[in-house]
Parts: sequence; structure tokens; C-alpha cells
Amino acid sequence: MKLKLIYPRWKKLPGQTTFNLPPHGPVVFAATLPEWVDVSFTDENVEDIDFDEPCDMVAISMMLSTQVKRGWAIADKYREKGLQVMFGGISTMLHAEETMLHADSVFLGESEGRMEAVMNDWKNGQLKKVYNFMGQMPDISLVGPARRDLYKRELYNHKGVPMVDLFHASRGCRFSCYPCAVSYLGSRCFRPRPIDKTIADLETIDNNRLFIVDNSLAQNKEWEMQLFKEMIPLKKKWISHTIEDDPQVLDLAAQAGAWYVYQAVYDTSNYIRERVKRYHDYGIGVEGTILLGLDNQTEDDIKRLIDFLLEIDLDLAEFTVLAPFPHTKAYDDLLRQGRIFDFDWDHYNAGQVVYHPKHMSAERLQELYEYAWKAFYKDETQEEKMFKLFSNVVLREMEDGTYRPRDRKLANKSFGKDVTRNIKK
Amino acid sequence: MKVPEKYYDEIFDFKGQWDMPSKCGLKSYELNGKQIIIVTELYQDNPGTSVTYAGTFLANQICEAKGYNVENVTYIECNPDTSSKLSFYDEEFFEVSFDIVDGQFANQPKYRQLSEEEIKEVIRL
Repeated sequence: MKLKLIYPRWKKLPGQTTFNLPPHGPVVFAATLPEWVDVSFTDENVEDIDFDEPCDMVAISMMLSTQVKRGWAIADKYREKGLQVMFGGISTMLHAEETMLHADSVFLGESEGRMEAVMNDWKNGQLKKVYNFMGQMPDISLVGPARRDLYKRELYNHKGVPMVDLFHASRGCRFSCYPCAVSYLGSRCFRPRPIDKTIADLETIDNNRLFIVDNSLAQNKEWEMQLFKEMIPLKKKWISHTIEDDPQVLDLAAQAGAWYVYQAVYDTSNYIRERVKRYHDYGIGVEGTILLGLDNQTEDDIKRLIDFLLEIDLDLAEFTVLAPFPHTKAYDDLLRQGRIFDFDWDHYNAGQVVYHPKHMSAERLQELYEYAWKAFYKDETQEEKMFKLFSNVVLREMEDGTYRPRDRKLANKSFGKDVTRNIKK
Repeated sequence: MKVPEKYYDEIFDFKGQWDMPSKCGLKSYELNGKQIIIVTELYQDNPGTSVTYAGTFLANQICEAKGYNVENVTYIECNPDTSSKLSFYDEEFFEVSFDIVDGQFANQPKYRQLSEEEIKEVIRL
């Protein structure tokens, strides 16, 4: 049986450096399929879909709200050809009712231990419209190594430099933050993977650079410290979200190869200043993530925040505007107050204002968002700042003998496309 | 973000979206001949769908469980004060109105935030 697994494209935000990372969800899902299912994978962000490729069934994996409309269009096309289409993934769960209109089946929840039965249903002509496993989490130890063999590696390469591999050591989150839907998806429960299985999975990845995509590693200090201890011999270098603010944990994280972290910067307090400094003290870089447009922000607050970012020596900054994704408190509040004016999911990219902010017009917030990017990268571009971070990791790899030179054969390619160089003759 | 107990008399278990086991705070009493229902979002203690997203679905489950006549109900959603430093976790009350079809709440709800005077008049915590 041949299954064509598709990851729909989405429109990247204008003005920002685009990097296509090998997507994580589809290959984690693929690992849960029974052996008799032969999978081919197409990431539409880096290659076109061959709608004529022979297959028996199509599975569409969606992570972002900005993927859903494209996912639906792809499904419509395949269903016109008489093929059955199944949807899964995070944004399938957030937009399930609408997705059902374009699907033969939607899978809600986590797929470990469940796909054998689903694929048997398909084989017997009894595919169900909905497989509903919301709130019923499978045993976390069932999570096995992702099917990274499905990646066409040359498509995730920029001028000979491979992109980081995505990896997860846990699922869920015990926090319930205002703009985040993870509390809905993961039942407000943090589920760390067993350390031995996590390390075994990491060992299978033929890439020294990783992005550990867990929502936050700072949820269970004992587990987090044990994980970092076990990671030290692997000599991987990695990016992650927040790490526990504790000297022992930061020290272990640095030894385990922490390269840089995403740290939310939500005010101009000394706490944030010191937090950034503590990461730097351990040689860990910081990319600030700054959410603009919350109800407690005035125009002056946003401008002050941008000035503050320039003072605290962030390595990178990523600005977003609040996007009220379904199943977040932000969505509930703004919906009740009648402040959401745009329900086109293509616009839920965290770069486009879709609601009326409290202290300014939507247009003004949009301007401040553009201003934030320009102001932060005025003296040094995003690419230049990224290059500095990249140089740091190369030096560390050279020190510990893990550095791999760029692949010269791909030096003139960027994500599978030819690079046009502006070389003066 | 623990929700203070003053906001509810009981924890109401309900089926959220896709039958997800969900919980909310519930307080109900009669006032001027009307059945007042106050549902409170429990945040970290609600493993499923929020009271707002569950909306019509939740209101019907409460009326069915408690035997209330939907024609005689004033339904209020409460964002409790969780002593958070963030202003968007402040206390708020919204009156929610629904269409009524065949003796049940139906369609998308409409929301109206209660004023301080209305809160004093209607809300008993």
C-alpha cells in the first residue's frame, strides 16, 4: 500500500530571512505507520507536489493555521481524482470542523499505537470520518525514532550547509499561556520521554545541529538535568525554547551543547535583563521572542520595549503580533469582545494584525510591528547576526572535533534551487 | 494560576469539543425569578475545552444536568481574578445570549460584558 504524505506550503513573512527546516510532525507520524505501508513524503515548501505520482491514499499533515487552506485545496484536488484523503497534525486539531469538509477522515490526537488499526480500516474499506483521540494521550514511551529517512536532504540545505534537524524530548506543557493552544492540545500535562529512549533516538540523527522543539524544557528540573547529562557525550549543538533559570541547569545545558535559546521578552524588567545575561554567562546565545499587541501594551510600551531589546545584547530578535489562534485564551477573549475582524486563516501568520488592539488601531500595530523589525536590525542585519551565531557554533564544533565542512556540491544551491550570485565581472 | 474557590460552588465536569473531558467552575442561584448560571474558566485545572469555546454546548449540558428551563436562564461566563500580574487575567463577567430552538440553546452565542453596577447587582460570590 502506497501512502503519499504531504506537508502543505505556506506563505513566508515578507522581509525576513527564510529558512526551510525539515518538518518534524510528518516524520514522527510516519514512524507510527505499520510496516506494510510504503510512504513517500513531499514537503511543498521545498518542492512541487506531483499530483500524478501513483498512490493509494493521501495523508496531509498540518502544523500551522496558515497551512490549512492550502491543505484543503490539495485534498480537494486529490478527492476529485477519486483518492481518499486523511488529515492530521496540530492545525488539523485546531481547525477540525472546517477540515472535515475537505477530508475523508481526520485524525485528532497523537498517532502512536493507533495507526495499525486506522490503516486496517482503510484496507477493509471502513475508514472512519473521525478518529478522535483528543485528551487520550498514548504512553509517551511509545514515541520512537522519527522517519528522517523520508527527507530529501539536499532540499534542506543552504549553500552547502545543512539545516538543523528537529527533535522532541517531551510533549505537552503544564503551563497555560495566553496566546498558546498547547494547553488544549496536550491536556495541560507535561509528558517527558524516557531518557534512554530519547538518547537512543538522538543517536540515530546524522546531524550535529538540532532544534529541540519541546514547548519548554523548564518543566521538570530533575528530568531536564538528567537529559542534559546524558546528552553531553553526543556532542550535539542545539537550539531550544526556554531552559530552567538555575545555574546548575544552565551549566549542564551548556555542556550538553546548548547553542542558543528562544526566550520570551515581555517587559523591560531587570529580571529579563539578568535572565539574558545569565544565558550569556554560560555561553548560550539568546533569540528574544517578542509578542506585540497584547492588551497591556500601549504604543509607548512597544517603543520602550524595542529600545530595551537593543540595550540587553540579544543575539537575535523575532517579533510577532498576537494571533488569536482557536483554543487559546486570546481567541476566547477577543471573540467575546467582538474584536476579531479577520477569520481568513492565511492571515494568522503572526505577522498580520487580524483583531482590534486595545490601545491603538490595527493599522498602527501593523506599523509598529514593521518598525520593530527595522529598528532592531538597523545596524546589523538579521543575516549578519545569524552569521555570528553560526560562527560560534562552528568554533565550538572545531574545538570538540565534530565540525563538518559544507558540502561543496551544494554550494550553489539553496533549498533545492539555484543560487543567483551578484558577482561583478 | 489557581482559581479562588469563591468563584464556584462546584466543579462541573462536561464534554468539551470532541468529547474531551473538561471542567469548569459552576455557581447557580435564583435572582428576581431568573436562574442565574455563572461558569468560570479554571485554566490550569481544566484539562479540555475552555468555557468560551464550549459555549452553547456547555450551556446545554448544564441546563440538562440541573433541570433548568433554558427560557428562564441568565447565563454568565466569568474570567476569574487569578492574582496574575498580567492585565488580561483580570476578573471579567460576560452575559451570554443564545438563540433557543426546540427547548435548547442553539447557534453562536453573543456576548456582553457586565458593568460594575451590573456585577454588584447580579453576581454573588
